[in-house]
Amino acid sequence: MILEMSRIRMLGPRAQLQPVLARIQDLGLVQLDEPAESEASSPLGLTPEQQRHLRSVRRVAEDVDTAIDLLGKAPSSHRAIEDLTIARAALVAGRTRRELEELAERRQGLEEEQALILKFRPFFSTFREIGRSGLDLDGIRIFYLVLRDDDGQQLRQMRVALRDALGDGFELLSQPSDSEESAMLLAVPAHKADDAEQLLSEAGVQALSLPDQFEQESVGATIQRMQERLDELPEALAELERERSRIARERGRDLARIQASVRDHLARIEAMERAVVTPRAFVLEGWIPSAARPDLERRLEKSFGDLVEIETVSSEEWSGDTVPVVLKNPRLFRPFEAITTMMPLPKYGTVDPTPFVAVFFPMFFGIVLGDIGYGFLLGLLSLTLRFRSRANTSLRAISEIGLACSLFTIIFGFLYGELFGDLGHRIGLHPIIFNREEAFFPFLALAITLGLVHIVIGLLLGAAKLFRGNKRRAIGKGMAALMVVLIALALTAASGMLPARFFTPLIITVLAALPILIVAEGVLAPIELVSTLGNVLSYARIMAVGTASVMMAVVANRMAGAFGAVAVGILFALVFHLINFVLGVFSPTIHMLRLHYVEFFGKFYSPGGAKYRPFRHWSSRESVSDERMN
Amino acid sequence: MDTELVGLYLSAALAVGIPAIATGWAQSRIGPAAAATLAEKPELTVTVVLLIAIPETVAILGFVIAVLILLQGGG
Repeated sequence: MILEMSRIRMLGPRAQLQPVLARIQDLGLVQLDEPAESEASSPLGLTPEQQRHLRSVRRVAEDVDTAIDLLGKAPSSHRAIEDLTIARAALVAGRTRRELEELAERRQGLEEEQALILKFRPFFSTFREIGRSGLDLDGIRIFYLVLRDDDGQQLRQMRVALRDALGDGFELLSQPSDSEESAMLLAVPAHKADDAEQLLSEAGVQALSLPDQFEQESVGATIQRMQERLDELPEALAELERERSRIARERGRDLARIQASVRDHLARIEAMERAVVTPRAFVLEGWIPSAARPDLERRLEKSFGDLVEIETVSSEEWSGDTVPVVLKNPRLFRPFEAITTMMPLPKYGTVDPTPFVAVFFPMFFGIVLGDIGYGFLLGLLSLTLRFRSRANTSLRAISEIGLACSLFTIIFGFLYGELFGDLGHRIGLHPIIFNREEAFFPFLALAITLGLVHIVIGLLLGAAKLFRGNKRRAIGKGMAALMVVLIALALTAASGMLPARFFTPLIITVLAALPILIVAEGVLAPIELVSTLGNVLSYARIMAVGTASVMMAVVANRMAGAFGAVAVGILFALVFHLINFVLGVFSPTIHMLRLHYVEFFGKFYSPGGAKYRPFRHWSSRESVSDERMN
Repeated sequence: MDTELVGLYLSAALAVGIPAIATGWAQSRIGPAAAATLAEKPELTVTVVLLIAIPETVAILGFVIAVLILLQGGG
């Protein structure tokens, strides 16, 4: 459900504004908002000196954020330092940022140099050959070439072309490298260098240019310098990493605390800008969950006595679109908020679909995968993930959703009598509801019936949402839900599953309800109704994906006997089961998400709610207030 | 082989094959656009996944029809 929110107005003596803001920040319950101005009040605004201070605090915040980013892993301590001055924070943050940026720059330079030398590595052995050949390099221009040449054909063609253009006055040494490319050295007299360059360019041969620092007097010296540098670079990089680790060890904790202090300070200054003042008083406005309001009143009274007054802003002064949204669900359903919040949050005053997602998502998943063996595997993976993840993180939510899905997979595995496909039948497990390998029609009927229930619930939720505002449209939604059910019953009667005598009365009722639907929802309502019926049919994917999954498992089991050697067959079967398990987890997830987001949410969901962001300490920015409210 | 049986299997194959090709074609158009979108706006992942999954309905309905053809035709 969406938590009920109150808009409150806090009034107090102007001199108490800063202590009150500090206390509100400690409590972390109120999302401050711009108050309405009146003739007697005006925004507090900041003096030029305060604005300068704000700019310098923002600079320090940027320095400390950048420094922490460059440190890599964020330090764990976030508690603010009580008596930190901005000057000291600026000094530490600025110095650390500069040092880390310089380290990063040096590291980048070394990595680029390493990459460059590695490009020349294939030439090293060719260089050595030249060194040994005693070639006199005086007045000689050397080209370092890379040629993609599998059979030596291009190399031969190049020799011919060079001989035609330059006569015998060149030396071409080639060395195949590890890749498909050949490294070549072309030595030509300096006065013929332009001709050679033109020839290479026309032939589309890539020539590498040697960096200045490696231009030595001889080829031997160049290769030696490059090789030495290549040996030195890993140590130089490791030294930089050690330096970064030292800074992280010595100053990481301080930086995290400085970040917390500076961010808190910045938030307080920005909160001050939201205050409206008269010559003697201040006014603050904001949103708070209604249930937390008594707590706020009690704590402010304890700190400031009757100096601070809290009143409720009438709902006539604000619109529902501006209210921040907090989702609150029972512990069992809470992990499924992760699925709801993958969409934009629902608007305040509308429906939070999380409880429905928590029931239908794992159930649909279980119906599709429905296998005791796969269910236990998924449960094992989810449990491992749960113990390895931290509380209140997405990973924890995913692991708990996985556990719910695995539970339903095991339950439906029993109902289908499946354990790693048809292995269950072979060891004596019997299907309780139906055997998915054969029972296409019952499985399809189950899928479509579930779709019908899901869609009708969606339509009814839509009707309930509209009932407060637009009763006519609410009736239209309700009528659509009724007609979908009637049409489904009529089709059932037509197919012989219900007595055929029900068919005509059902169709007459549908036709009678149609004008009401058109009056309530407009002339496009019948088209919408057909689209809703299409949505119901879309649930056939539960059967389609489920059947595909069980058939893959059956094929995997047959593999065990299809090969001559039993061990090979079992190995193939295991690999195939593993692939099927991965597909069997991934595919239903995507399809069930789609069924929820498109078919189900489409009937009632109103996205566009803003997230509740209370004014609180930097250290408690992750879900601390959420825990308090739950 | 019995001509009727050949027709039956062919119909079932076409019922699932043609929609599957259509789905593949639609997804081949959505995929690159989705990849480009995600490169610029990773927060649209859910929307993109949904857009890619939407054409699959056609293939799935084709599969259901194919099963119906086989079961009904096979008696």
